[in-house]
Amino acid sequence: MAYPYTHEREVRMLSRGWGDPASRSLAGWRALGGYEGLARAFELGREGVIGAVSDAGLRGRGGAGFPTGLKWSFMPKEKAGPHYLCCNADESEPGTFKDREILRWSPHQLIEGCLIAAYAIRADHVYIYCRGEFFETNLILARAVEEAYGAGLAGTDILGSGTTIDLTVHQGAGAYICGEETALMTSLEGDRGLPRMKPPFPAASGVFGRPTTINNVETLAAVPHIVRNGAAWYRQWGTDKSPGTKLFCVSGHVNRPGNFELPMGFPMEELIEDVCGGIPEGRRLKAVIPGGASVPVMDASECEGCTLCYEGVQEKGSMLGCASVIVMDETTNIVKQVRRMVDFFAHESCGQCTPCREGTTWMARTLRRIEEGRGRVGDLDTLVELSEQMTGTTICVLSDSAAAPVISSIEKFREDYLALMPGAALAGAS
Amino acid sequence: MNDPHLEVREGEAPFRNPGWAGNTGEFELTEADVRGDEYVGTLLPDGGHPGAAPALPYILADKDPDAPLFEGPYRKRIEKILSRYPTAQAALIPVLNMAHELRGHISDETMATVADTLGLPHAYVRGVTSFYTMYNRRPVGRFLIQVCTNISCNLCGGEEVLAAFLAETGTELGETSPDNLFTVTEVECLAACGFPAAVQINSQYFENVTVEDVAPILEHLKGKAG
Ligand SMILES: Cc1cc2nc3c(=O)[nH]c(=O)nc-3n(C[C@H](O)[C@H](O)[C@H](O)COP(=O)(O)O)c2cc1C
Ligand code: SF4
Ligand code: FES
Repeated sequence: MAYPYTHEREVRMLSRGWGDPASRSLAGWRALGGYEGLARAFELGREGVIGAVSDAGLRGRGGAGFPTGLKWSFMPKEKAGPHYLCCNADESEPGTFKDREILRWSPHQLIEGCLIAAYAIRADHVYIYCRGEFFETNLILARAVEEAYGAGLAGTDILGSGTTIDLTVHQGAGAYICGEETALMTSLEGDRGLPRMKPPFPAASGVFGRPTTINNVETLAAVPHIVRNGAAWYRQWGTDKSPGTKLFCVSGHVNRPGNFELPMGFPMEELIEDVCGGIPEGRRLKAVIPGGASVPVMDASECEGCTLCYEGVQEKGSMLGCASVIVMDETTNIVKQVRRMVDFFAHESCGQCTPCREGTTWMARTLRRIEEGRGRVGDLDTLVELSEQMTGTTICVLSDSAAAPVISSIEKFREDYLALMPGAALAGAS
Repeated sequence: MNDPHLEVREGEAPFRNPGWAGNTGEFELTEADVRGDEYVGTLLPDGGHPGAAPALPYILADKDPDAPLFEGPYRKRIEKILSRYPTAQAALIPVLNMAHELRGHISDETMATVADTLGLPHAYVRGVTSFYTMYNRRPVGRFLIQVCTNISCNLCGGEEVLAAFLAETGTELGETSPDNLFTVTEVECLAACGFPAAVQINSQYFENVTVEDVAPILEHLKGKAG
């Protein structure tokens, strides 16, 4: 049976084998060309692998879009002790549900990617930091790890290459902030997941004080395909600046929500109208959040002509993030949804930085007051000012993330806020 | 375009993605599909490769608040966990996860035992435990029902589903029903946003849950409780 939400315009690379429980097993993954990339990596050598990934132009799928090959090249070439690779499988950005699909449908795809990356950066041990809530998913992954060990694909002398790489599935315990790379490392060390100041950067001093690289699940899952088929093959999809395919997680007001693997640069309107079957009951589009809760909200006019790639969404004033497209139709109460997102950030703030700890709580309270019809016109200026103070002033960017939907929604949906304020029109607000 | 899932016909109910461990569609996965037969029970809790140790199914059907924590098979599991990390401190969260699974919550005594077992200060373990939201600090019902009300689910009725669970179980948010069966809470995004509303019940995800599904799900759970 086909994965429940296929579409003819989809590309089947990362989503190959989804929907077929057989592809979870080692044999099933091998039947799809699995572990050929790993064998090829050992032929290419470390520099060859990093070169291929750089040439392919693969960019990190965890949200920031940092070039993966470049990140790997920061790792020291000389070893004075262990190196580590952390796979970020802590997926918890509201609107994002792609990594879990990779983990539960093609765990070997991720394991193969981890092994190739670990080989390239000379890592001795890979920690796959999995979200605590993913019990079933983690079991599928754990079983695949056992299979890989059993088949000599992990552990000592992998495929007779003389390389030793260990893999450990590490289960978290519920904290959005642990997805932030330095917090992930602190958490992996058995501490509260508090982000750290950079520098030092992870490639110099990461988890357990050793050189470390952190990559997202989707980033690592793309690696076997690139190594096996080459950079030019990968570049057949996408744009010059955003090559390859991307898993688009579409949620909210569409007839067919789900994950769709499409070439980078796919038009947003076609994604919503064609691939996702449009908005229920023919209602009109109101707003889209293109990259998960931490990116600016777009209004319907900005969605026109928007192409979904890093540069395309940036041109429209937002960010592609993890390509978590949240669609909101004309019935949506924007103020309520922004408040709900800010509640989330207030709940997840680790509390180290005052602008973030105090700012998120204050914003949540003010938004709630506006939502309940007790807002004042001055509140909007206060919120904008507060958002500005929360941007660029903290250890990690959770604070900036919380501010983004607030600033952008006040800018684009000011009328919605004012409509909730008694007497705002009379006061000649603007 | 001949995939039946892609056809949206005029006047039909909006499309629902067949879910994971959910109650809709032909896409239902059984426990055996997920874990394989050999994963249900038999590997508990000391089997398998140590690389999978921190995530192996110490998911126990019935919590045992009185089980000796770190003896016998559980002791072996701790040793396996310790073998995967360069420091004992790094084993803290996997070991807390194990204790949480076994007991259903983390009490002060559990924290003390964990701290002593790993040679960590008690206050440190308390600090870490309270940081992570998955650790229940008090006993919860046989079924912990966590309903996502974050944005994507919220747009598609998450709050109504939460309200229905509260009404049908006759509880307040976070409270346990008098028969000790159900505790209903609100949860942040479960990474199943395309399958709204997403609900996690103990270790299992239920997806595409609507208000109409609430009563049958509760009946199903009552059946499991026997
Ligand atoms: C608050 C916060 C939460 C994050 N959560 C995640 C996450 O859940 N998964 C993820 O892969 N990256 C997350 N990131 C991004 C990571 O810090 C990091 O950039 C990413 O894992 C790097 O991998 P990549 O280069 O492959 O994208 C988060 C960042 C921040 C600031
Ligand atoms: S910005 Fe917020 S979440 Fe990030 S370190 Fe500071 S307080 Fe913690
Ligand atoms: S918003 Fe509900 S699962 Fe993501």
